[in-house]
Amino acid sequence: MRLLVVEDERKAGEFIRQGLTEAGFLVTWMSNGLDGYHQAMTETFDVIILDVMLPDIDGWRILKSLREAGNQTPVIFLTARDSVTDRVKGLELGADDYLVKPFAFVELLARIRSLLRRGNSTAIIEELKVADLVLDIPSRKVTRAGKKITLSQKEFLLLELFIRRQGEVLPRSIIASEVWDMNFDSDTNVIDVAVRRLRAKIDDEFEQKLIHTVRGMGYKLEDESE
Amino acid sequence: MNKQKKGMPISLTLRVMSFAGFAILACLLLSGFFVIKSVEQHFIEQDYDELKIIIETVEQRLDSINGNVSQAPDVLSQAISGHHGVYFQVETPPGTHLFHSKGAEFFSEITHPQPANRIDKSNLVSWKIDSEIYRGLVVDFTVEGIPYRVMAAMDMAFHLSFLEKFKEKMWLIMLVIGIATLTATWFGIYQGHRPLIQLSRRIRNIQTNQLDERIAPNSLPIELRELALSFNQMLQHLEDGFERLSNFSADIAHELRTPLTNLITQTQVGLTQARPIEQYKELLYSNLEEQERLAKMVSDMLWLAQSDNKLIQPASTLIDLSSEIKDLFEFFDALAAESQITLTLEGEAPAIPADRELLKRALSNLLSNAIRHTPYGEKITVKIGQNKNHNVYVEIINPGEQIPAEHLSKLFDRFYRVDPSRNRLSEGTGLGLAITKSIIETHDGRITVESNNARTTFTVYLPLVM
Repeated sequence: MRLLVVEDERKAGEFIRQGLTEAGFLVTWMSNGLDGYHQAMTETFDVIILDVMLPDIDGWRILKSLREAGNQTPVIFLTARDSVTDRVKGLELGADDYLVKPFAFVELLARIRSLLRRGNSTAIIEELKVADLVLDIPSRKVTRAGKKITLSQKEFLLLELFIRRQGEVLPRSIIASEVWDMNFDSDTNVIDVAVRRLRAKIDDEFEQKLIHTVRGMGYKLEDESE
Repeated sequence: MNKQKKGMPISLTLRVMSFAGFAILACLLLSGFFVIKSVEQHFIEQDYDELKIIIETVEQRLDSINGNVSQAPDVLSQAISGHHGVYFQVETPPGTHLFHSKGAEFFSEITHPQPANRIDKSNLVSWKIDSEIYRGLVVDFTVEGIPYRVMAAMDMAFHLSFLEKFKEKMWLIMLVIGIATLTATWFGIYQGHRPLIQLSRRIRNIQTNQLDERIAPNSLPIELRELALSFNQMLQHLEDGFERLSNFSADIAHELRTPLTNLITQTQVGLTQARPIEQYKELLYSNLEEQERLAKMVSDMLWLAQSDNKLIQPASTLIDLSSEIKDLFEFFDALAAESQITLTLEGEAPAIPADRELLKRALSNLLSNAIRHTPYGEKITVKIGQNKNHNVYVEIINPGEQIPAEHLSKLFDRFYRVDPSRNRLSEGTGLGLAITKSIIETHDGRITVESNNARTTFTVYLPLVM
């Protein structure tokens, strides 16, 4: 998967490149708007990460020119300004997502992955399986090692999210947004408590743990025996 | 800005002066008019009396001759001795000259004498003959079967010249009176404005470090007391706002200093010697925690600054409060269950126009706050409903320790903590309630809090129409 990062701030650009490279992407980093635009027009990328405030031409103009030239590569905006008009402007111009600085790196990663996933038509899956954990989606039944586990509706959704995105670190903000539709930072540790309670039901009694805490970033579900 | 287009507003002095001037002018003109009228009336009365006496005397004399017309000139020639400037003519039959007094030749020039049958003030006439003006009375009567006409007149020149002089003097006096009164009015206005000028001088001298200054209303005339009270109130608002602002700046500095100190100290200590990789990891995690707090604080403060500057414009969609609150209950379900706290919703409310995300954020702050302060195993109640003032209310009631009254009003202040020593990590950024209040206010609503020894209640009022 190829990513283009257009970010003029050296430190930020470097670390985003490093982080994304280590996450398994092929990353091209451009530190000004013109070079970024040139790269986007001449090479093929799967996602473009575009800073709004650039020294030469701003991100909006780059996006506008790209879309006018028929380039439909998904674009994530990075901006230091969090105002509704900015957001609306970006989305109207055809941006696919939007992150306000300072953002958590893991959140950027999650957004990129969900953009990449968006293109693939997901076949209707009736059963999700990780190790000996089985989710029956239509009947909302969960079993582990053949043993039935009772989950509340939200716990089920949470587990489903983890399994659908297994191996991926999910930051708390993404979990809150996907499972509870809460799109703001809560002052509380609700997500930690909810994950702990889910773990108590699906992990505690079993030797092999599936849900893992990634300190400082979030949680992921992974079958580490594979 | 409209006023600018219409030019300068009229000065107060000019306003009062023009009204007073107008009133004085009207008074003087009116009184002058009546004085002249009554003097004229007085002269008419005088003239009438004189003419009446003459005609009556003529009638008596004619009576005394017993119809012997040839004797008439003799008796009539004596009739007006002792009267000056008075003339008469007798005709019999009317139209035929019989006798006229000395100097009364001018009667022959009167072509339409307009005779009357009796002596009456309303029958007075005036004649202008050559350059002389006369006031006269013409009466027809019969004595011993003989019809007579008596025409009496008197010269008005004397009266007229007196009246002219009188008028001249009177208008002059009135002009002087008018000018004097206007000057006095102007002086009065100037004097009257002195307290205003003094007040303005005192107001001008108030500096930002003297916002505790107040103007004593009792030292001012009654008309200015209202102004002084309003001004004092404005000062009070300014002082409060100013104090809040400077406290806020101090608080920001303090709130930022703590995590920054932690970051610097732990990083420096970490770098003092070579360590196993695990310890570096630990250090980075610890740094990350502080950094995330800082980031959250900065975005919360930015949000509040935008809200203060009216940059947050809530979208308006119809919101069903009870379903939003149920969603929030589901979100907080795990957290509440940890402390065996039950969340219940009571009542019903009509849908209200609001920004869904913002409202959820506001209510979520209140709920997480309630959960934080509710003892183990107790129950949090959320009541919704509609009150008489067409407001929808949401009451969030949690049992727990009483919040002392002195803290209640400051609870929504930024970074305000009831207990300063409370662990800052468990309390969030200290901006939650400030953000909640701000959100409610951008929706034209308001939020109140009360607390007794059994429970604390936050009440949000939201208008049915935004």
